Formats: sequence, structure tokens, C-alpha cells
Amino acid sequence: MKKTHTIVTVIILLMGLTTNAQTINWKNIRQYKHIANVNVTAEYALNYGVAYSYRLSSKRPILLSSEYSFPSGNNFTDDFKVKTGTQIHWLQSGNFHFASKFQGIFRRYQNSYARLLNFGVDISATGGYYKQKWFVAGELGIDKAIVTHFKHSDLYKENFPGVRDGWYEPSTGGNIYIGVQAGWSFQNKDLYLKLGKLSQQDLHSSPMLPLYAQLGFNIKFGKR
Amino acid sequence: MRRIILSVVVATILSACTKGKTIDEAGNLVPLTVEKDASLPSIYINLSKFHAETFGNPANKMLVVLHGGPGSDYRYLLNCKEFANQGYYVVFYDQRGSGLSARHSKNEYTIQLMIDDLHAVIAHYRASPSQKIFLLGHSWGAILATAYINQNPSAIRGVILGEPGGFKWQDIKDYVRRARDFRFSSEALNDALYADQFITGRENEQAVLDYKLGLLGAADAAKDNPTGNESLLPFWRAGAVVNKALFDLGEKEQPDFTSSLQLFSTKVFFAYSERNRAYGLEQAQKVSSAYPNVQLQKINGAGHDFISFSAGFANFFPAALSYLNSL
Repeated sequence: MKKTHTIVTVIILLMGLTTNAQTINWKNIRQYKHIANVNVTAEYALNYGVAYSYRLSSKRPILLSSEYSFPSGNNFTDDFKVKTGTQIHWLQSGNFHFASKFQGIFRRYQNSYARLLNFGVDISATGGYYKQKWFVAGELGIDKAIVTHFKHSDLYKENFPGVRDGWYEPSTGGNIYIGVQAGWSFQNKDLYLKLGKLSQQDLHSSPMLPLYAQLGFNIKFGKR
Repeated sequence: MRRIILSVVVATILSACTKGKTIDEAGNLVPLTVEKDASLPSIYINLSKFHAETFGNPANKMLVVLHGGPGSDYRYLLNCKEFANQGYYVVFYDQRGSGLSARHSKNEYTIQLMIDDLHAVIAHYRASPSQKIFLLGHSWGAILATAYINQNPSAIRGVILGEPGGFKWQDIKDYVRRARDFRFSSEALNDALYADQFITGRENEQAVLDYKLGLLGAADAAKDNPTGNESLLPFWRAGAVVNKALFDLGEKEQPDFTSSLQLFSTKVFFAYSERNRAYGLEQAQKVSSAYPNVQLQKINGAGHDFISFSAGFANFFPAALSYLNSL
């Protein structure tokens, strides 16, 4: 319980920074302050997303960003995900760059039986080869659902009147992901593709959609 | 953003003030099984405890009702209680690892064990050796009934089958693929997939996995669901591990339940629904052809789960009763 509170507190602090994690060409990020992004993602489901990042005027590149995405379907408001966090560029050796990402997550899910609200974190590390015009990198991360609020519909309660609504902890789930990302940079834009595999945190099973992919487009502006 | 931050703060306060509920504890999100809830009607057979109940005079002709899934439960078939008012002793049970019956680890399940369980249920309730035994199986339950008849062609007096995917593994696989043919961009499919980031469970966390599978059932009544149901089915508790175990076994063993069906010369009542786009007359003819003597019955105004809904049951029941009474 104490550990959970600590993590949630960290999420709150990070949310105060209003940040995100886009796929970045670390080689040509230094001269810009802002990055806007649109993406289509197959991750757990088919999602559409937008994001914005602000680069701090620090010696070490640090991005603070926010991202909103929602799954495809008739109802655009019943399920969504907001991620907010920071990406920090830690190390450069020649054209090799290494960075990490820490995002707080708030997400919502609803179907005929239940509405779920979840607070979680997404932590990952990225390392790769970055040139001015292109990049290729690998990523490894974990997406953890820390605390989840369950509220059930009358329909579900007809099936199970004793169901207990409320907050559930500790963690209600988690998935580990490993993948590659590659991008093409031109003018002040990046077009990138991420591909990878998802496994549940026990490493023995996978989500129903065990692979993920993202096609994204960044536009950078506001030169320093 | 302020709302989000406020929600996080509220969540933190709430979780600090209350003892957190855990999703892997049965009784929170899914009901207890017969192992933990002594008030449930149950039987102990074949070294396991089953949720089971009966209706009608035990001396009457016995009709054993077999639910689908695998991993569903008999709640959605309770309309079949009506057969008890027509002179039948109706037996319902949640199959091993399903509904409110006891759970087992994945490696304990075998197809043969499911067949043996049915044998044990019949033996448990049978009043006398001369008592006529009938089976009524729906979907996977119809496959199980056929697997039983394939091994015991002379033990059963008659059988009612409702839209079994097939009696050979490839037919079953093909049907399941058609029945789950949702557009990738559809609300129903994305509802099913999106939950994977909220809830995950290890193989032994059966309450978690059962709850998650139950949530997926919400897709059953989606407009673009090929199986054509008009609304959601009532259920007690899904059996996720037995469902996964039997599908994995099917893939591994490629079962064929038709090898001795030619020995079963009794007429089989084979029902298929009007609205199930994944089934239809062609599939019904193909699957039922494994039996030598078949009465095909189209159930109008209903989808795959025609027994559960009023229009479907109104069309199914008189024909099924007439069939049973003819034997």
C-alpha cells in the first residue's frame, strides 16, 4: 500500500510537469522548443492519438509532454488514455543516443458491464543510432496499471448482485513491451514507425493483440 | 488537466482511507464457486465439485443440458426448465472449471475428462438402468454431447444439438473464426482488446481471468456480431482457464469426434438459427452429416443463443419437445 502511494505521488508530480513521450530524433531536436504529433497506433486496440512536447532549455535535452489517444469505434468518449511525463536524453556516444521515458497514465474503459478508471505508469528506455535525416532505435518498457476503480452497470449486477465497486489495488495489471522504431526526418518534420511485442508482466502470456505498431508524424517548431 | 490531477489526488486519498480490494479475490468481481459457497447446489463426482441442480421428477426420462463455451455456464439455458413441466427430469450442471463449479489448474483439463464428467453426472442422477437418457447440448455443449455419443453410441436415447461449431477440430476453428469476424476498427472488437491494459492475470489467478473473460462477453450483443443475438446472455461466472485449456488441447490434439457416429442410428435433432451469419443451412448440413439420421431444424427470429431469448425459445421448444416425445 505504501509503495503504491509513493508511485501515485510520483505520477501526480510528473503530471504537474505536463509532459509526454513521443518518438524523437534526438539528433535534430536541439534547435526546437515545441513538437506536435499525430499518430495511429495498434496497441491493445486500434487507437488514434495526438501529442505535444516542450523541450526545456536545459543542457541535457529534456522533453515535457502530454498525449491523448482513444480507440477506434462508434463511441469516442467511453474509452481513452492520457499520458503525461518526461523524456530525458542521458547519453550520447558518436551517433548513438540513449534516453528514458517516465509517463503517468490516466485511462478509462467502458462497456455494457463496467466502467474502469485506472492510474498507471509507463516507463521505458530507448537506445539507437541517430543521424540528422534518419534514426533507428530499440525500446524496452513496462506499462503498469497501478490502481483501478471499478463501477459496474445494472446489467452486470443482474448477473452478480454482490459485485463490489470501488478502488482496487495493488496493481490490477501490467504489460512489458519490446520493439524497434525507425524514422525519417526532413525539414522540421519526422515520420516514424514503431513495431514491437507485448507480453503480460508474468512473461507467460500476452494480450489478445500481442504486437504493437505506431505510425506517427512530428512537426517541430519554435526555434531557440 | 486539472480534472485529471484532481482525480489522481482523490484516488490517492480514497486508497489511503480504505483497505484496497484485490481483483484476484473471488467474491469481489466474480461470485464464489461451490468450493467457497456452501449455499450453492452442488454434487461431488469424478474427484471434483460441480454446481448442479435438477428440475422435475427424478423417475422421469432424463434430459441432461450441456452449456457452451467452453467455460460458459448453464444460467443462459435455464429456459430448458420448461421440459420438466412436460414430463422430463432436467439436469443442469456447470462443467468442470466453468460457471460456479470448482476451478482446477490448466494442465489438469483434458477433453476426455470433460466426457468422463458427463458420464459421472448421468450416473449420479440416474434413477434406474432403464431410465431413458437424452442430451441437449448448445454450441460447445453440442460438441461435448457428440464426443460422448461417439464413445458411447448405445448409452443415449436421443440428442438435441444447437449450432455446434463442428465435430472435427478444423471445422470448429473455422466456425470460431467466422463467429469472431469483427472489423478491426469496430467498437466491439476494440472494447474487447482495450481491457488488456487494465487487467492482467497469471494462469493461476482464476478470479481475474474469469472476470476479464466475462467482460468480453459484452461484445456478444454488438450490432456487428455475426452470431445475431438480440442482447446479452445472463451468466454467473466465466471459466477462462478451462476455455483456454480446451482450445489449446484442440489445437494440439486436433480431435475428431465423428469416428463412431455412424453407429448412432437414432434421429438427431439438429437446430440452427436464422440470424447467425457465421452458421446457416450450409454449415448445419455439413456438421450434421456426421450423423446417419438427422432432423434439421431452423430456428427463426433468433441468433446463436436461440434457447436464451423468448422468440428463439418459442420456436425451438415445441419442435424439440415433439422430437423428444417421439423417441
